[in-house]
Amino acid sequence: MSAPTRLSPVPRWRVLGAIVVLVLAFAAMIWMVEQLRHPLPTDGPAVPELDVPASDPREEVVCEDPPPREGLQRQEPSAAELTEIAVIQSNQLYDCPQTHSERVVRYRGEVVGAVLRREHGVWVQLNDDVYARTLGPLPAHRDFRGGNAGVGVLLPHSVADEIRFVGGPRARGDVLEVVGVFHRVDPQTHEVSVIRAGQGELVVEGERFDDPILIDRLVAALILLALALGITAAERVRARRRTGGGRRLGMI
Amino acid sequence: MLFRPDRQDFRLIGLYTARVIFGVGLAMLIPAAVAAAAREFNELFAFLIAASLAASAGRAGELALFTRAPLRTSHGLAAVALAWMTAPVFAAIPLLLSGHYASYLDAYFEAMSGFATIGLTLANDLDHMARSVNLWRHLMQFLGGQGIVVIVLSIFASGGVRVYSLYSGEGREEKVVPSVIRTARFIWRVALAYGVIGTLALWAALLAAGMSPVPGLYHAVNLFMAAFDTGGFAVQSSSVAFYRSAAVEAVLLPLMVAGAFSFALHYQLWQGRRSELYRNLETRTITVSIVGVLLIMLIGLARTGTFTELAPLFRHGFFQAIAAHTTTGLATVPGRLYVTDWGVLAPAMLVTAMAIGGMAGSTAGGIKGIRLGLIMKGLRRDIRRVLLPENAAVIETFHSTTRRVLSDDMVRAAATILLLWLALYFVGGMIGLFYGYNLQLALFESVSAASSGGLSVGLVRPDLEWPLKIIYIAQMMTGRLEFVAVFALAGYAVSVLRGRV
Repeated sequence: MSAPTRLSPVPRWRVLGAIVVLVLAFAAMIWMVEQLRHPLPTDGPAVPELDVPASDPREEVVCEDPPPREGLQRQEPSAAELTEIAVIQSNQLYDCPQTHSERVVRYRGEVVGAVLRREHGVWVQLNDDVYARTLGPLPAHRDFRGGNAGVGVLLPHSVADEIRFVGGPRARGDVLEVVGVFHRVDPQTHEVSVIRAGQGELVVEGERFDDPILIDRLVAALILLALALGITAAERVRARRRTGGGRRLGMI
Repeated sequence: MLFRPDRQDFRLIGLYTARVIFGVGLAMLIPAAVAAAAREFNELFAFLIAASLAASAGRAGELALFTRAPLRTSHGLAAVALAWMTAPVFAAIPLLLSGHYASYLDAYFEAMSGFATIGLTLANDLDHMARSVNLWRHLMQFLGGQGIVVIVLSIFASGGVRVYSLYSGEGREEKVVPSVIRTARFIWRVALAYGVIGTLALWAALLAAGMSPVPGLYHAVNLFMAAFDTGGFAVQSSSVAFYRSAAVEAVLLPLMVAGAFSFALHYQLWQGRRSELYRNLETRTITVSIVGVLLIMLIGLARTGTFTELAPLFRHGFFQAIAAHTTTGLATVPGRLYVTDWGVLAPAMLVTAMAIGGMAGSTAGGIKGIRLGLIMKGLRRDIRRVLLPENAAVIETFHSTTRRVLSDDMVRAAATILLLWLALYFVGGMIGLFYGYNLQLALFESVSAASSGGLSVGLVRPDLEWPLKIIYIAQMMTGRLEFVAVFALAGYAVSVLRGRV
């Protein structure tokens, strides 16, 4: 088999020129997409300064009752600790699960995702991140403070019956406040890091919210769609000419 | 001597890249249809914008670069790497326009994590994300898991063309059947068969878990793509733990394992050759590795007192071991607990499992079972050589579809790739340390990104330092393509700079 014929190499300045053109096209595309993002609700910066510092995994969390190292016994909480009600947030439960295990906690969060009804109770995910507590869901604003945080809660059916709004796309869920026992590992269902709530109440009713149609995005979509159809049609015509008008399905 | 690339080289690499970009543009029409059905109009426009840009770029490339010149191996490999770099450029657009990502870099990270089936996410407020956008995240995992180039091949390509280099460039080493196109179509058939069965089984489990039918089906489709393509994204921020259902986890387990099987093994099983399951060197290696990892993990969890009863110990320990070993990354426990409640032995085993990964030619990442198996076989052969008389001929064989004789070249190649993997894990870990994260966090996340493991201890988050985001993106792509395609593209760049006429 003969070796493929080598053409003369492309001059470096032409390669550099092509790269510059591609980078400029890329920058223009990103600029356009940035212009088409959801408008800011205020005139403030795109990502405001945090009034509550974001959790940083580099910071060491000191727990009152840290889990023991391998091979040592875990300490059981005292009877007094078990009855004392602690107002708690999900990150505290995950940072120090041993400290809070089997203790009665008061926890508040937004119902998200779905309400899962079972015989022994109703499972809900209650988020207590900034989107649930203060800011409201994205994309209604441009305040980015990270992922969601929450805890799985097993509710009595009577409390779950009060839920009207479940948080999800275009919906802010009801905020419930529950009192129950936090289990590092639930002894009956074997679920990890959950609250088995004895009581709970709806403290803030959720709501549906609209995402008004962004006209500039609609116009851009129509123009770009027309452009794409035009280029595709031109390419099809060229391909037909190449193959003498025959039907050409394969591209490779 | 290093030759500078000629016009034909650039044309071929650009042409095949353009075709993949066009394919990605077409794929965006699926979430666009979902957006229209769900009345998510701003998302619909976003998908149309991204699809139009991708289609325009793809077709413009076809118009400008069309050639009938044959594709050489180096072209194919470089085109695959370039396609994997550029596909997320367009796939990230609807993510950014969804309003859940702080910057384009974050959206690009998410798109690469999706295509490379990693599962690490930078999404803000995932639990309120539009359905169509969340579907797109999972669909990217499906496309990437099957191989975006394989998909374009199987849909558009006609037979008998020299496209093996494109196929192998996506980290697949052997053809299942003699024709690459037929191999690509077989991969589709396997995915669709598992897709129908897996989605129905997941839907049933989700209905039993208390979900209503329509959301249940939506979750089932997405969960299938995340599990079978060993992706690890989830519809809800709490991953699989959201469902609080052992039945859902039980359905996901075989799907994750099936995803980590090579398509060659699927083909053998498809042909009724079940003995391949226990004769194949790679399945044996992976089985031994899973059992070892699981045992040590369970011992660690029991000694730390994380679980005091057998049922939760096995349920969560087994699920996490499989999710890590298949490099899926789905989780039944919050990731933070790996650091705060799982001791040190169990997380170390999770890192080990992710680092080893699944089978070569599967959707899983990591070092891969076959390489470890070959190195172990080589080690055994060397020990036997030492123990036996000097004139004894020592021959080691292994089974992989057929019986093969172990050669020095095979062991050397496996060892080289193993070293590259370790270097990849090490580099990410070192840069994590440079930014002040402790060794456990830095190594866990580096291995997770490079091996496509996807489990996270919380280091990957939207306010992660941007250089680390870029490092993880590079790790994800290099790991998914298993080095060679990336080296080929880098080789072209070097030859432009340093090549002689």
